[in-house]
Amino acid sequence: MAEIEKAKPANKNKKNAFVKRNTRVDLTPMVDLGFLLITFFVFTTTLSLPTVMSLNMPFDKVLPSDPICESCVLTILLEKDNVVKYYEGTPENNPAIKETTFDNNGIRNIIVQKRKAVQKLKGSADDFVMIIKPTDESNFQNFVDIIDEVAINNVKHYYTTEINDNLIRNKPAPGK
Amino acid sequence: MGRAKIPRKSTNIDMTAMCDVAFLLLSFFILATKTKPPEAVAVVPPNSVSTKIAKENAILVTLTKEGKVFLLLGDKSHKNAILEDINTTRALGLSAAEMAKLKKMEFIGVPFNQLKGLLDLATPMEPAKMPGIPCVDSTNNELTDWIRSVANSYKGENMDNLNLLVKGDNAALYPAFKNIKESFKKNDIYKFKIVTNSEVPPPGSELANSAIKNKK
Repeated sequence: MAEIEKAKPANKNKKNAFVKRNTRVDLTPMVDLGFLLITFFVFTTTLSLPTVMSLNMPFDKVLPSDPICESCVLTILLEKDNVVKYYEGTPENNPAIKETTFDNNGIRNIIVQKRKAVQKLKGSADDFVMIIKPTDESNFQNFVDIIDEVAINNVKHYYTTEINDNLIRNKPAPGK
Repeated sequence: MGRAKIPRKSTNIDMTAMCDVAFLLLSFFILATKTKPPEAVAVVPPNSVSTKIAKENAILVTLTKEGKVFLLLGDKSHKNAILEDINTTRALGLSAAEMAKLKKMEFIGVPFNQLKGLLDLATPMEPAKMPGIPCVDSTNNELTDWIRSVANSYKGENMDNLNLLVKGDNAALYPAFKNIKESFKKNDIYKFKIVTNSEVPPPGSELANSAIKNKK
């Protein structure tokens, strides 16, 4: 293939004539190799760069005292085996605790509905408050997922707290 | 009738230019690829809709499935100061040679009382075999000490320079994460970031709608 053809000597009579050689090399295999390597590198490189999610913890040496309307609150409990429980209002009023999942039609629907209800009631969905209480049996994914739901549903106020947190439990119901 | 002569053309194409392009692209891809940041142990981070890209030079706290905690001091400009600080504040009594060894170590994943022993080992221990930094509850939380040294080294600077990341495994239990959070809080660090894999916001949701609106 490689064309290194001997060019015929121009003058046969001259024995010591300089022999011209064609130096052209067939580069096709080299190009093949080049593109093969490119495809290899493109496919093996993982393009997905890790992203980061910001999380701001509350400065809880001073407890928040923002007045919150009771019917604007949705409390979400993260339980074992990806189970989500939720209730509306304050626990003092013994609200019905319902159960759902992280599926597309699960907790997201509940948040969307509650958000709409708050909008109807208060005129703005910004008054909607989500309280997230992960239990000790829930895992890290559950926590990140629910914080993600906050971002997905554009919830303006949310609090995370632990269920066994005495401070919160003994806190008077908001709005008093 | 004379037939028009069609000159025979050679079908050989000069491949030099194509070859150049191929290798140029190849070298570009090789140079443009960033090497993956080192991983102590395999951790599967959760997904999120966040689109922020993780910055480099991070102080990374890794939380594994089993609840082990590792610390990676990725900020080279602060690493020495952090390690010197921890040596004095916890009175570890590490010699200069041991400090030099510690500075070379990427992942820190042992309790303070095992640190000296680890540094005396001839062959460095694999991060996966390390027991992790104790971060069990408020009384046994050595991560708090590490974070204090980290915070000390950033003192006097803009706290936004502190790029604190938490990379947790999906299956890690929440209390382990809570303890990490507590250790940050004790040092008055209230802002940190969680490493996630990006995900597309679900269609029809508020976030997806606002993203479409912004585009228009």
